[in-house]
Amino acid sequence: MPAETFSTTDVVMPQLGVSVIEGTVIRWLVAPGDEVAADQPLCEIDTDKIVTDIPSPAAGTLTEILVNEGMTVEVGTTLARISTGATNADRAGGGEDARAPGEDPGCAPGWMGPDPTGPARHPAEGKRDGATAPSPSMPVAGGAYHSPVVQRLAAEHGVDLASVVGSGRGGRVRKQDVLAAANGDGGRPLHIESPYRPDAEPAGQLSRMRRAIGAHMKRSLDTAATCTTWMEADMSRVEAARRGAKASALLGITPLPIVARVAMDALREHPALNATLEGDRYTRHDAVHLGVAVSLGEDGLIVPVIRDAHTLSVEQLGVAIRELARRARKQQLTPDEVTGGTFTVTNPGQFGSLMATPVINQPQVAILDLEVVVKRPIVVSDDDGNDVIEIRPQTILGLSWDHRALDGAQAAQFLGALRRRLEAWDG
Amino acid sequence: MPTMTYLEAISDALREQLRADERVFVMGEDVGAFGGAFKVTDGFVEEFGEQRVIDTPLAESAIIGTAVGAAVVGMRPVCEMQFADFVSCGFDQLVNVAGKTHYRFGLAVPIVVRLPSGGGFSGGPFHSQNPEAWFMHAPGIKVLAPSTAEDAKGLLTAAIHDPNPVVFLEHKHLYRRVKGEVSSGLYETPMTARIAREGSDLTVIAYGAMVHAALEATEELDASVEILDLRSLVPLDTEAILTSVAKTSKVLIVDEANETCAAGAQVAALIAERAFEQLDGPIRRVATPDVPIPFSPPLEQAVLPSVERIRDACRDLLDY
Repeated sequence: MPAETFSTTDVVMPQLGVSVIEGTVIRWLVAPGDEVAADQPLCEIDTDKIVTDIPSPAAGTLTEILVNEGMTVEVGTTLARISTGATNADRAGGGEDARAPGEDPGCAPGWMGPDPTGPARHPAEGKRDGATAPSPSMPVAGGAYHSPVVQRLAAEHGVDLASVVGSGRGGRVRKQDVLAAANGDGGRPLHIESPYRPDAEPAGQLSRMRRAIGAHMKRSLDTAATCTTWMEADMSRVEAARRGAKASALLGITPLPIVARVAMDALREHPALNATLEGDRYTRHDAVHLGVAVSLGEDGLIVPVIRDAHTLSVEQLGVAIRELARRARKQQLTPDEVTGGTFTVTNPGQFGSLMATPVINQPQVAILDLEVVVKRPIVVSDDDGNDVIEIRPQTILGLSWDHRALDGAQAAQFLGALRRRLEAWDG
Repeated sequence: MPTMTYLEAISDALREQLRADERVFVMGEDVGAFGGAFKVTDGFVEEFGEQRVIDTPLAESAIIGTAVGAAVVGMRPVCEMQFADFVSCGFDQLVNVAGKTHYRFGLAVPIVVRLPSGGGFSGGPFHSQNPEAWFMHAPGIKVLAPSTAEDAKGLLTAAIHDPNPVVFLEHKHLYRRVKGEVSSGLYETPMTARIAREGSDLTVIAYGAMVHAALEATEELDASVEILDLRSLVPLDTEAILTSVAKTSKVLIVDEANETCAAGAQVAALIAERAFEQLDGPIRRVATPDVPIPFSPPLEQAVLPSVERIRDACRDLLDY
């Protein structure tokens, strides 16, 4: 293979997130000999629960695949090579992909073209009917229709719609995408399309995501000395504030961001719980990077992380949680958005659950479990010290914690602080 | 503030107006001795007498015609159609006489025609309809459709005070199901839309019973959904509609009425014409298909806009 003689571009395993060190090639979308356009997806890479398309770094012909499907390699490993500068089919007739379905590529896969930046000089050029090598570019979705508001906002903000990654159905550019691009928030994932595709695996076999979840959970249970502590809390003030929020930013907010906010205040009091334990290395963290478990329905579960969540207000947390959940359900999270958490909350209460024993999200040392809020008759003391039965919205706060890092007293003290703050909550 | 059902709030408004203004009187089939088919005027004949709480024959044309005459000579009649469906018998008096008298003769016709409307209780094709759009298409008539007890009282009060003929749609399904705090004093609710819930991702426009269906359908959605309760169909609060659409760029319109030419069709046309450059998705509608309302409960539930249908349409728009 005279690869070194000709101009080639390597396709390397990209760094899909600062914390990612390796990835697995799930599927090749092209075969040796195929023409590829710049940015055309070449293969799917799996890093834990996130599947990402790897875009072609250049236009040309894929000459060889070095890492086969199923292999796991480190970041930086060369996955494949692309010969640039010429293509292997006569495409003088049209600008679109000239390879008809079933057509055999007319040239040996090993054929290498010249550097695309210089004039075509390779002797083989003559065999190609003198046709100038076309410069394949990313096929623009020529028929892409943009909604009226998208067109107007793009014009107002000077946004080039061709460069905006759409988050709508079928990659449609939505109003939010234009506004994000206008705000310079275009640093979206490396992939062109949604990175995740539901597995079409044989019946009876677990999906890749299920296997990843299973491995994580099993590893946590095998690693940690998991205990769960529960405490009841009176949610009257939280519920009253939510109900009373007629027009404020709290309107429509669920208890989750409120409990998360209060939990982070309680973590300040009990920093031992905002920590990670890796082997014998126990590290407390100043910042709270808050993991929030998001159910993906039958597909599984993912825990996106809100970085520096302790700096956010209840309203900001509400927005952040909603946005992460939305993007999680659309499979638009980047690998960095699901790692680096220091503490996690899970909210099975939204489905009516009364009590659960959540599994700790390794290498964290605790996970808070928010359960359903139900009205219950409870005994309280009135101002005169008489016991009376009142109807109060109650919930059970659960905390699974790692007995290697903590003891029950700390878990209970943390829950106590959380309860105290919730019961005294004044927005 | 006392808590009242939607029905009690309507009764309360009528009672207060009968007490406050001797020109006000009520008339309709069984409104007197029987207290009304739905008991809205229960006890009225005892308090106000047969001269002001008038039982009429089964003749809607006569009821509305009499009301027009009384209004022209200075009275403030409030007519009850036993079911909204039967207003068709009084159509000429309402649409051609009441609605046009001011334009033809310069005479005000301050009448209110109460229409117990809507389905959901196996009433079948003659007792379940939502005929509001007929009157939206007849200039000279105002059309109100409250969804809450507070608005039911305030809008009925405003209707009685209004110098124009007003058709007042009171949804039967809400009569005893919807409760709320209602001021005991005299107040008017403006004939404008109300934001039932604020949101930023999607606007759902509804009125009457569908406001509650829309609220329920969007309660658990993972998105910020604005619910706009129109309250008044004529006049239509175009400013509130366009403001909300400009904010969210996506809109779903829900009618319990049959789909073709329903109030929601007019709202959709307004948005298409005046808010085109604000839209980031198709204007979607959920309404009852163009069929009579079946007696059979499962069939009826299949045609009326359900919480599930509304939720699915919301999800579809949010994903768009």
